[in-house]
Amino acid sequence: MSDVSVEAKREGPSWLILPGIIWMALFMVVPIAMICYVSFWTQTTFNISSTPTLASWKQFFASDTYTGALWTTVRIWLIVLATTFIIGYPTALFVGLFVKSKTLSTVLLVVCVIPFWTSFLIRVLAWRPMLGKEGAINIILLKLHIITHPIEVLLFTELSVIIGMSQIYCVFMVGPIAFMLGRIDRNIIEAARDLGAGFGRIFWKIIFPLSLPGVVVGAIFVSVMVLGEFATSGALSGRKVNLLGNIIVTQVGSLKWAMASVTGVILTVVMGMVIAAFLRIVDLKQEL
Amino acid sequence: MTTQTAIFRIDGVTKSYGGVKALDAVTLEAGVNEYLSLLGPSGSGKTTLLRVIAGFEAPDAGRVYFQGRDITNVPAHERGIGFVFQNFALFPHLTVRQNVAFGMANGSESISADETAQRTQAVIDMVGLTGMEDRGVDQISGGQRQRVALARTLVMQPKLVLLDEPLGALDANLRGRMRNELRAIRERMGVTFLHVTGSETEALAMGDSVVVLDRGRIIQRGAPDDIYSNPQSPDVAHFLNRFNMFDGVLSAGNFAGPFGTVAAAKATRALRDVYAIRYDRLRVLPVSASAEGPALKATYIANEYLGSSVMNFFETTDGKVVEVEHHLSLGAPEIYEPRQDYLLTWAPEQAIVFGREGK
Repeated sequence: MSDVSVEAKREGPSWLILPGIIWMALFMVVPIAMICYVSFWTQTTFNISSTPTLASWKQFFASDTYTGALWTTVRIWLIVLATTFIIGYPTALFVGLFVKSKTLSTVLLVVCVIPFWTSFLIRVLAWRPMLGKEGAINIILLKLHIITHPIEVLLFTELSVIIGMSQIYCVFMVGPIAFMLGRIDRNIIEAARDLGAGFGRIFWKIIFPLSLPGVVVGAIFVSVMVLGEFATSGALSGRKVNLLGNIIVTQVGSLKWAMASVTGVILTVVMGMVIAAFLRIVDLKQEL
Repeated sequence: MTTQTAIFRIDGVTKSYGGVKALDAVTLEAGVNEYLSLLGPSGSGKTTLLRVIAGFEAPDAGRVYFQGRDITNVPAHERGIGFVFQNFALFPHLTVRQNVAFGMANGSESISADETAQRTQAVIDMVGLTGMEDRGVDQISGGQRQRVALARTLVMQPKLVLLDEPLGALDANLRGRMRNELRAIRERMGVTFLHVTGSETEALAMGDSVVVLDRGRIIQRGAPDDIYSNPQSPDVAHFLNRFNMFDGVLSAGNFAGPFGTVAAAKATRALRDVYAIRYDRLRVLPVSASAEGPALKATYIANEYLGSSVMNFFETTDGKVVEVEHHLSLGAPEIYEPRQDYLLTWAPEQAIVFGREGK
């Protein structure tokens, strides 16, 4: 009996979570339920009715355009995840661990965030004059006589989408990893050195495992944002790369609510699986 | 102790941080199978000294020798010197067993899995952690973590173990127990311990030999009882935290202090004139009594019960607090009236006098 009263005391008055419940219900549960519901509606060219049908679902999986968009999304997500990790981890290692002064490491993190002082669209569009046929990169390479003809695959290809996304989302990988690395007690690294371990061993056995929660958080940030992307692929691929996000935008634009909903549900499920998979790697509740 | 039996020696080691000298030409050596405790207040450079010996810091000047070899430029992980950190610095994501086995599994010399497992188990048994092998290090108590830290270092079979305030993070009860265990474990392993501490009782209780460090210099070295009964300078007497110290003037074998002028036949040479008398050497008399030796009038303030003794606090007319310790084995403590004056007296030959004209 006394256990119950202790439990109740520790939890406090339960009505405090009411605002949270209302907020989540209104802006998450209801919209997602709505999307699921609408995905089964009957869509004709100029009309939509609530008669339940599987037609839109069948159409999604029968069409190469839609399934192709699904695989493109997954492929680009994996590539961008890999590049942000490959670029982001060493950066975070430098900022979070090798820089001894706390002030300097904070300054360096702020420097990473400076691009965010302009709007998202400007950051995306700024890649066009960089990557174009007569863009900055080609001009410099031509002037240095490294190339004789401008590289044309830089812009309006999948490559440009990957370059753009990697740059935009890299900082979301750097931040959490640098934070976890910064929390590692320096004595632990010295203890490992004192026990005879060289740098490689210390990195793989001590530093990397301890930074793993940061990697997982960074990967979740990057994954959620890349999977839901449509603007970067739209602006930098010349509409050649279609992600699930682009499909949704097009379908909504042509008032195809049912198809947009099907795509939306599939995207949500993919994101849910990705996040669940990442959370299996580390028990974040315990680590943070 | 001769150089042949010395396990390590540091020679004129100097280390500065931003113009401040943390170590000032320190020369020190320790023999094989010796327990050396290094006593110093915070900021005396004792941790820096350990870090230089371990190889985490490079000295600005001076050399470090270990087993007869100059290791000044050898990186920490190739020195083979054990280091036990103040906060233990256990690997938080590994179990007790993995922590202990880390050095053997990841060190430069390759040790077979069988031998690693066997040595790990042996040292875990020795420090009394049997049954805890698969616990995470955040699932064990402070004292057990201390043992893991020690086991992790000892399993590498170092000839020298450096301990940086190893008992500082433990509560008083555990500290007393670990004190005995540290000594017992060291005797079983036959290695040299260099134990750094800010606690005078710890330094005196644990060291075969005590080194007192102040402002980057070694100011005295000797056996614990020698340090305790013959501090070589007012600073050492001060760190021992067992003496009432009075400033005054020493001239022609007489010390003039707040208690009048007292004959001081024997004086130790020091930079300032200080009269030191141990807490338990003072006697308390009624203010009307006539004392034979030196006498100091003081007001009783309060007392503190310490278990085996009672500490009485008196205040002299010029506001200085004088402590008088009464060992309960000598009988029940006398009851003093707060805010009443008493006469404090002592036998002059029991005082330790420091002065510029001392020898």
